[in-house]
Amino acid sequence: MNVGGIAARLPGRHGPGRSDAGPRAAGGFWTDARVERILGAVACIVLALIAGMVIFVFQKAWPSFAHSGLAWFGGGGDVDLQLEDIFSSPANPADYVYTLHAWPLLWGTFVVTAGAVLIGMAFALLAAIFIVEFAPSGINRVLEPVVRLLAAVPSVVYGLIGILVIVPFVGEHLISQERQESVANVVQLDGASLGVGVLILTVMIVPIMIAIVVDALRAVPHGWKEGAAALGANRWRVMWTISVRTARPAIVAAAVLATARALGEAIMLSMVAGSASFAPNPIDGITFLFEPTRPLASALVENVEGLSVVPFGETLFAFAAVLLVSSMFLSLAGFAAKQSMRKYGVRP
Amino acid sequence: MNRNRPLAALAALAAAASLALAAPASAATITMSGSTSIAPLATQLAKAFVKQPKYKGKVKFVILQGGSDIGITDVSRGRVTLGMSSRDPKPADPGGIVFNKFARDAVCVVTNASNPIPTLSQTQIQDIFSGRIRSWSQVPGASASGPIDLVVRTAASGTQDAFQNIFMGQTLRVAGSATTKASNGLQAQTIKSDPNAIGYASFSFTKGLHDVPYQGVPCTLRNAKSGQYAGTRNFFFVSRGAATGVAKEFINFARSNPTALRIVASDWVPLH
Repeated sequence: MNVGGIAARLPGRHGPGRSDAGPRAAGGFWTDARVERILGAVACIVLALIAGMVIFVFQKAWPSFAHSGLAWFGGGGDVDLQLEDIFSSPANPADYVYTLHAWPLLWGTFVVTAGAVLIGMAFALLAAIFIVEFAPSGINRVLEPVVRLLAAVPSVVYGLIGILVIVPFVGEHLISQERQESVANVVQLDGASLGVGVLILTVMIVPIMIAIVVDALRAVPHGWKEGAAALGANRWRVMWTISVRTARPAIVAAAVLATARALGEAIMLSMVAGSASFAPNPIDGITFLFEPTRPLASALVENVEGLSVVPFGETLFAFAAVLLVSSMFLSLAGFAAKQSMRKYGVRP
Repeated sequence: MNRNRPLAALAALAAAASLALAAPASAATITMSGSTSIAPLATQLAKAFVKQPKYKGKVKFVILQGGSDIGITDVSRGRVTLGMSSRDPKPADPGGIVFNKFARDAVCVVTNASNPIPTLSQTQIQDIFSGRIRSWSQVPGASASGPIDLVVRTAASGTQDAFQNIFMGQTLRVAGSATTKASNGLQAQTIKSDPNAIGYASFSFTKGLHDVPYQGVPCTLRNAKSGQYAGTRNFFFVSRGAATGVAKEFINFARSNPTALRIVASDWVPLH
């Protein structure tokens, strides 16, 4: 039993403070040099895995992009029908169908993500200020554990609540028949909608943003805040002018993390956002919120059954590639935004 | 001691895994994956099969789901003994696999229970699902009012394929405004909560919904068995090459053994 052997030697790491520490307490098997090499190897494996994944996804996705060119990102036709044609391609590789205009999916991803992150950001910032500066300690003892607990709830739970409670409610009470009929020739309004998707996604990403911003606000040096208070600023002004400004890099980090989660959210949105390949139109006024949409990640998870059909699988990999590139750009943008704020900022 | 715990747990896990791998080696194992519509039936058939005196203790089953196309891919790559497919063979399917038909299934057009439509003809179904008729006021006998909400399945679904072949034909398409759902359950839930919805489902998934009679014939097992109800599709066990050994015996069992036929007849349609 090799594993047991290593395990038996492990207590040696606890060092001289422990009574069972033997002569090899300074490190034993785990010398610093050895640990450095092992950890380095592990880190390299992670990098290699990521690089391998990116190459694999892009290689698989290439035929789909190559066939449609820039029109892939444009609009035109019905995405569901195009997917169906791709799925029922003929057997001969030369006759594979790849035509796809994915604009409704891209637009759906953008609107849902941007909506949830903007609304969530405002909520999270105000909630974090309350927790750090204004909340009585009794409330804080309940509030903070609950926020951290909420951050860990699996998305499918939110999806279930959405499809069983919120979607039927919206469909029956908030959408009038006139509204349904006004757009009936283009799209059907049955409650599952952009608005419900954004609402639940906001609830999902707010807790993690609150947690990060709270940590950052707490890390602001007391001296800075006391200085402002000594000049006569009240608590709100101290928070707004000193703490929030100093915590900007952390706020950006929270936004980036939340956006990443929102971009990748698939199951919940596929359950409540209507799963029709439709690009909701802001010109429609309030109806815009009730129109269904389908983000890229949802389209991917809903169609994964058809992976075995070669051109269909390659199309799904093209969705994955777009998501990968977006999250890479997201990280870069977050990094760039933080650079300029670094001078006076505290980092989480 | 804390540090030892993960390693100990890992060792225990490895031991358990090797045990689990070792156990089935003494019996022949049939692994299956594929259609979620077939899985409940396949599970019952497998239970009856291992109770047969000839196979008691000698055969084991592992049944996974995932969808018809997953089953077909798995079996073509040799990952499972049999794939379960609820759709007919397609030109783009991998080569070298054999579709063994073993039962049939009724596909019903369903509406919300508050909207009990007396009957629909094939033309009416085509008009509704292709978007030519968009309001319930244009459907005779409908008690719902307002626009029709179409709730259908994604392109890769076996039920979608069956609906297309049986009701729509080769040229008509489901309207682009339709909501597409990834599973039977999500589709049924959506129709249940929307009085204006119409969709389709395998007979075993229609509880709590209204089955619309097709060409005047109610969507019941009795009518499907007698052949009066025209909306039926085939269930297949897919094998890599012709099925051999225990897998072949299992397929024959499902097709013709009286016990198996009784199981099939409980919620599905036997071949004979």
